[in-house]
Amino acid sequence: MPLPSSTTFTAEVFQNEYLADGATDAHAVVSVTCAGAGKAGAVGDAAEIIIVDTSGSMDMPPTKISAARRAAKVAVGEIVDGAWFAVISGHSMAQMVYPPHAGMAKMTSVTRAEAMAAVDRLRSGGATAIGAWISAATELFGQVEAAQRHAILLTDGKIEGEPAGALPAALAAARGRFQCDCRGIGADWVVDELREIATELLGTVDIVAKPEDLEADFEAMMQAAMSRGVPDARLRIWTPQGSEVLFVRQVAPTVEDLTSRGVQVAPLVREFPTGAWTDESRDYHVAVRVPVAPVGNERLAARVELVVHDEVVAKSLVKAVWSGDTDLTTRIDPAVAHYTGQTKLAATIQKGLAAKASGDDRTATVLLGVAAKLAHESGNENTTRLLEKVVDMVDVDTGTVRLKKVVDKADEMALDTRSTKTTRIRRES
Amino acid sequence: MSPTDEPPQASAGCPVCGEAVVPGDAFCESCGTELTPSDAATTGAGVPRDESFPVPKTMKSQAPGVGDECLECGGEVLDDGFCSVCGKKAPSPRDHWQESPVDWVGGVCDKGIVHARNEDAMALAGMPDRSLAVLVVCDGVTSAPDSDRASLAAARAACAALVGTPLPSGDAVAARVSAWSAAITRACADGNAAAIGVARSLGNPSEPPSCTFIAAVLHGDLVTLGWCGDSRAYWLPDEGESVQLMLDHSLGTELIAGGMSLEDAERDPTFHTITSWLGADSVDATPDINSVQLRSPGWLLVCSDGLWNYASPAATLHSLVQQFVAEGRRTPTEICAALVDFANAAGGHDNITAALARYEPSLR
Repeated sequence: MPLPSSTTFTAEVFQNEYLADGATDAHAVVSVTCAGAGKAGAVGDAAEIIIVDTSGSMDMPPTKISAARRAAKVAVGEIVDGAWFAVISGHSMAQMVYPPHAGMAKMTSVTRAEAMAAVDRLRSGGATAIGAWISAATELFGQVEAAQRHAILLTDGKIEGEPAGALPAALAAARGRFQCDCRGIGADWVVDELREIATELLGTVDIVAKPEDLEADFEAMMQAAMSRGVPDARLRIWTPQGSEVLFVRQVAPTVEDLTSRGVQVAPLVREFPTGAWTDESRDYHVAVRVPVAPVGNERLAARVELVVHDEVVAKSLVKAVWSGDTDLTTRIDPAVAHYTGQTKLAATIQKGLAAKASGDDRTATVLLGVAAKLAHESGNENTTRLLEKVVDMVDVDTGTVRLKKVVDKADEMALDTRSTKTTRIRRES
Repeated sequence: MSPTDEPPQASAGCPVCGEAVVPGDAFCESCGTELTPSDAATTGAGVPRDESFPVPKTMKSQAPGVGDECLECGGEVLDDGFCSVCGKKAPSPRDHWQESPVDWVGGVCDKGIVHARNEDAMALAGMPDRSLAVLVVCDGVTSAPDSDRASLAAARAACAALVGTPLPSGDAVAARVSAWSAAITRACADGNAAAIGVARSLGNPSEPPSCTFIAAVLHGDLVTLGWCGDSRAYWLPDEGESVQLMLDHSLGTELIAGGMSLEDAERDPTFHTITSWLGADSVDATPDINSVQLRSPGWLLVCSDGLWNYASPAATLHSLVQQFVAEGRRTPTEICAALVDFANAAGGHDNITAALARYEPSLR
């Protein structure tokens, strides 16, 4: 199925291609922009599944289950006519809410009303077996012919009531079959569990601390899903013989390490899934170790392409030019420097919070101080604001902070989940 | 232009000097500026194409195009201009090309390894009846920006002037020598004017582009050559002693004249400092002239220092050529390609140009 002719992709590369004599590592940021993506379902059917946690804890307080009902109804309302859809209630097992049988329904005004009525009847009770919910969604998606498959998963607690290996096994089977955006409501769920799901299934993860905010969040999430008119795209990276891909990272809008997701498709070519695209920009940091060539040589370190339906829709070249001119070779590209800092920022926050959770306040203070300095220097104001709820800034220029005596757990979880959100580099115009 | 060629069609013109350019040309004939396809409509990048030179010959630009083999690893060159296997950038036609105007005359001009640009240039011509060969090599002065353009403009202007010279009539050697001496001196002046034209088109920079010059004319059994600088000519007979046909205009020559040994002089940092060149800042662009009458079959070699740096003695170059012939290289262009490979294998520290004409008394 070809893309609509209105859809365009562009790729732009930012790098300092000059390498000193004997240097081997080429770094580049490739910025890919999609325009004119259209709507979900434009090229083949879209399929949506809403998974709502209905474990016993969703009744504590009962505002959570009622917020979940309202949010699920809003999400159902956003799914376009003609799309396949289903709603699953998740507790110790996965249970069909709509349609009543184990399958998916075509969205019409009739099925939409029926689904909303079914969601209204959701009651809570039982454990949290997210692996079983993911497996059920995988099976349902497998029953329909669809070009793009997307799920929303809502939970309020950590996995209980299934073996530890259930989630990894479910994710292995689901990988590449559908994308999944994850939301945690309240502060009793585990960031790492949802982050693992979102990472594996090319989705987002976020906290919705207050039940009353859930409706707006579900609406925005489903609207975003419905605006993804490009069902599936892959990042295709060629590197020369004898080279080594050091890493491939998405660095904007969030940091995601893609390195291990690469699939070898030809001797020198690897592909990385990127999921569906709407009108948006994503930046990728690619680092390649290439065989050294003598000064004066110019070589390609990577061809970075975006591929839709095996068709190259955007391409950029990462180069390596060996030079004896230190004025050229010592410069670091501003985009590469910025995103290297943003990646370090995310990792430092996560390590800092882990240290804090394990009771190592000294390490936590040092790391969160480093993070505060990085966030401040790079102009990442959102992250600075999140950090300020966890630490007192003593001197942000030197990275001196104090851990707050009393921290709202939801604020700490928000800092954790949103640590990977990066700011874009300010480009000189 | 030979009379049989179609007249070139002028298109938009050179973006630097405004001269009309010929469709398909990669470089401006007048000032040597690299042309983009919009300046001169090119044929497909992967198709070796006839270059439009004002000299009668059949020439192909041999820089690998799309779909051709990478010069380094043999992989396929993709439409982005890089190899599909090793990633090496396919050289532009300016960085590597060969000329084979007739089967007994050929040359290769190559960027080498270390330099970022190919500032060497050559222009070759030959007659199918073996009556005349013209070999011109110019080596751009690296310290002056844009010398790659000066060298190409100078080489082509000089070659065109020599090809346009009416052949001296009669067999009297002295008359032929003086006719060609005068022609080479005029051609050198044309080359100098072309190099100065490049400077003018660039707004007369304080450090004007400049180059060496050597032109060798093989007319029947007579070689006449003129030079400014340290690009060289050698006579490499199949039998007998090989000779360098001229002395460099360089401080190196002056050191040797002052009594220093060749080995010591070549190690002196001033060895390569040339004392005569073409260009707007040239003090005296009058070439020195030499001539020699050939008596036996052999090779006339004209080359830049990118080659002779690794094989300065005539005997060394002679044995290299003999070795390449023994290995099965037959045409002058094939042998020149092997000489360039040899210099690159030795380090390729400078641009490399080698041009050969084959002399065969029995075939005249």
